[in-house]
Amino acid sequence: VGRRGRGRAGSAGYPGRVRPQPPRSCEDYWGEWKHCRGLRHAFHHYYAHGELPACGRWRDDYEACRAWEKNRAAAAQEALCKSERARVMERQKYAPVWKLRKSPPLDWYLPLDHDKSN
Amino acid sequence: MEEREAESSPVAEKKEAEEEDDFGYRLFPDRNKKPQSFLVRSLFTFHNKCQLMLRITLETNPYARLLLEALKQSGCTVFNDRHFSCENCDGCVSGGFDAATSQIVLCQNNIHQQSHMNRVVTHELIHAFDHCRAHVDWFKNVKHLACSEIRAANLSGDCTLMNEIARFKFGLKGHRQTCVRDRAIRSILAVRKVSKETAEKAVDEVFDACFNDLEPFGRIPHSRADAKRAYRDFQNRDRYNANL
Repeated sequence: VGRRGRGRAGSAGYPGRVRPQPPRSCEDYWGEWKHCRGLRHAFHHYYAHGELPACGRWRDDYEACRAWEKNRAAAAQEALCKSERARVMERQKYAPVWKLRKSPPLDWYLPLDHDKSN
Repeated sequence: MEEREAESSPVAEKKEAEEEDDFGYRLFPDRNKKPQSFLVRSLFTFHNKCQLMLRITLETNPYARLLLEALKQSGCTVFNDRHFSCENCDGCVSGGFDAATSQIVLCQNNIHQQSHMNRVVTHELIHAFDHCRAHVDWFKNVKHLACSEIRAANLSGDCTLMNEIARFKFGLKGHRQTCVRDRAIRSILAVRKVSKETAEKAVDEVFDACFNDLEPFGRIPHSRADAKRAYRDFQNRDRYNANL
């Protein structure tokens, strides 16, 4: 069952959930695109990864974001969310080295014992 | 103990036959001692300077502020007097994370500049963050240690081009990865009694996964501006996740 935004009907042709806003603000997409195209970022990316960055995706995301805000276009919403989900998947493509905790370590808040030897 | 060395030559190896692994505690001789008196500490050590620089870092540095908030979100609120300790250390060590007590050690006798303090605190907070969010077996699993050292070297600013040039290590295309790998191996060798081959093998096995694990930054922060962007994204993560 999809979520419904208050006072906003689902976008025509998209039967799933209605997202009230883009994952990031459109200014953030613009800022990321501009930053990506800068010389400084290109240098840092080359130094870290041995290749120049690809910035076209940020531009596409910015344009989809604007279309989302202006027209609430379903295609723009889907394209933008697909792009962001792909970003998340790219970060998760390697198997984790360790197992994540469900709660913090028990001794994090324990008082220190200065007489205890390690 | 996970340690971070200064930019100069590594700590000399102590080849004592059949010695048990001390997990790097020999580099931090004050760990097992009673704290010095206030007067001795204030007059004869750099303790007060260390505390002041630490406070400046925690209040103003965007890397540290993001890590503190991420730790808090993970259930590990950091308290200055519980989770940080300014001590005298051995050799060229700058700091360390004591997993046995969940405490970050800062080497007051080796950190004299604010920029250095910023980097050391960021580096050790990354270890603390890993300790808080995952079951990291610091003492028995070299791969776990290697992963945290790779992440800390990558995300703390240890391996910027300028820092590498200052160490007379020159390279450009993808050199950051070379630097991260070398510093991770060096850190492992300083705190564990393993062979160089073992350390290299552990680092190589986990390198891809850990070099690309950018939590909590979400990107490699090449500058304070990048760290501020990362902090902004971290604060907006609820909106981000809700609208995917």
